[in-house]
Amino acid sequence: MRKHSVLLKEELCEGCTNCVKNCPTKAIRVHNGKALIRDELCIDCAECIRICAYHAKYSLTAGLADVTQYQYPIVLIPPSFYGQFKGISPLKVKKALLKLGFKEALDVSLAAEALSRKTSEFLKANPGIYISSSCPVVVRLIKLMYPELTEHLLPLKAPTDAMAEKARKDAAAKGVRPEDVGIFFITPCPGKNTTTFDPVGIDKSPIDKTIAVSQAYQAVLAVLDKHQDTAKDGASIPYLGIGWGQSGGEVKLLHEKIQSHSLSVSGIHRVRALLNELSRNNIKGVRYFELSACEYGCVGGIFNVVNPFQARYDLRRLRAKGEQMVVQEHNSYDFDLPGKFEPLQIGQLDSDLEKAMEKLTQLEEEIAVLPGLDCAACGAPDCKTLAEDIVTGLASRSDCIFLLRKQMGDLAEKLSALFHELPPVMKNGKRLLRTGDQNK
Amino acid sequence: MQEQIILRNKIAKGDFSRGGETSSNLKEILRKLGIKSDINRRVTIVTYEMEMNIIIHSLGGEITVYISSEQIRVVAEDLGPGIDDLERAFQPGYSTAADYVRDMGFGAGMGLNNIRHYSDQLEVETGKGQKTKFTAVIYL
Repeated sequence: MRKHSVLLKEELCEGCTNCVKNCPTKAIRVHNGKALIRDELCIDCAECIRICAYHAKYSLTAGLADVTQYQYPIVLIPPSFYGQFKGISPLKVKKALLKLGFKEALDVSLAAEALSRKTSEFLKANPGIYISSSCPVVVRLIKLMYPELTEHLLPLKAPTDAMAEKARKDAAAKGVRPEDVGIFFITPCPGKNTTTFDPVGIDKSPIDKTIAVSQAYQAVLAVLDKHQDTAKDGASIPYLGIGWGQSGGEVKLLHEKIQSHSLSVSGIHRVRALLNELSRNNIKGVRYFELSACEYGCVGGIFNVVNPFQARYDLRRLRAKGEQMVVQEHNSYDFDLPGKFEPLQIGQLDSDLEKAMEKLTQLEEEIAVLPGLDCAACGAPDCKTLAEDIVTGLASRSDCIFLLRKQMGDLAEKLSALFHELPPVMKNGKRLLRTGDQNK
Repeated sequence: MQEQIILRNKIAKGDFSRGGETSSNLKEILRKLGIKSDINRRVTIVTYEMEMNIIIHSLGGEITVYISSEQIRVVAEDLGPGIDDLERAFQPGYSTAADYVRDMGFGAGMGLNNIRHYSDQLEVETGKGQKTKFTAVIYL
């Protein structure tokens, strides 16, 4: 089973190193003109897909064709999906999905509303700082690069997972055979696709397959009743939960007192900057952080079709229709994680402290030798990373074109010096013939 | 393993723009050395507070970090002007930081408390008009 959702079409890769330089975890190296991802460092944030001008990085999800593989296919709709349809009623979007062969179309927004209640309760009962664990990319980023902050991850399941588990349970209660149930999730990003085979916080994903928004969008559009109507759709639509589709939507549903001590930050590079400050204990007063890897939250996921600005606007208008959360039985979801989030211990130079110290000294030497231009022509994102790769045996000094040039220059000088040395049989001071001398 | 230096940084008085640089570098170094994340966090916080103290209160100074098989030792030495009343300086919320420093969000009077809280051993040498030396030890 593959570990990641972000993949490379080798024939399209020009080896330009744009993705290498933009990768927040420095997971990519260009070798032989191809941008290869180091699995252990990749968090599936899809920044490389976003930045690649050659469309060489891509991601795969199942297609709608897979729906027929199951007797009882259920589709889970993420809040952000409704931002794709210019404010057309969620009821119509759901109807369209049922026309595509799903037996049930369920709103993850419902679980989001329930989770908001649960989060408020949790934060009231547990003092301290917590970080939302709903964005799996953020969870992976923290486990990998901010292991010291892992204990601050909210120990509750993401709405999608809780919704999927509930859907499975409800189907069984209706008498549907478990093997007939197929749970599909319309995903706005590769990051959530990865959770289906490499889940965060839980052992096994309750989701069978994902369908990229871009695929579901076209199919839905083909059967959608596009007539805009102003009538109210009643209390069954979780409009407030739909607000989770953009950054800030989660915090808005928290208890007032917690809301006023919360912060929403989106976009992976900004999230990193924030985590740097948080790691230094440099953020005061904030109790809860809603962090999304994509700019503007899930509406910024790369699988979306509509641009995030429009989607944000339309989603905000939908949210405004909500007056209160949908009435539902609170304990129908199981949000408790089976265990804790565990930090990853990656990036050490050696498992032995003494050897690691030696390599650290070597590392400093390599950094001093390298030009510090961070040109990435070696295939690593910057000189420091190349130095690390040299020390850990993954690269060599001559990968640096400046060092290579210098080595060639030195060699040329040596050659030149050798060339002008006189053989012992020759008299001292005897002139050697130079070019052009013959004619004199 | 014998004690070795892993980091030595000079810190200039009032250089807020580089505040946090030393502790960030240290965090990276400790990660490379395979130091467990909870210990790394404690060392980083202690170093950060020392670094900011030098920037805010001193005439400039230097931070040196040592490692051995048993412990990490963070030493912060400055050029003065020394702490008048050490006991008061450790009181939560007590600070002599100037208003402009507080306006920047620093000088809340928790620094020394944090240093004490996160280290296993702490030694302070100071006095009015003297240099100040903090030595914090965190066990591995």
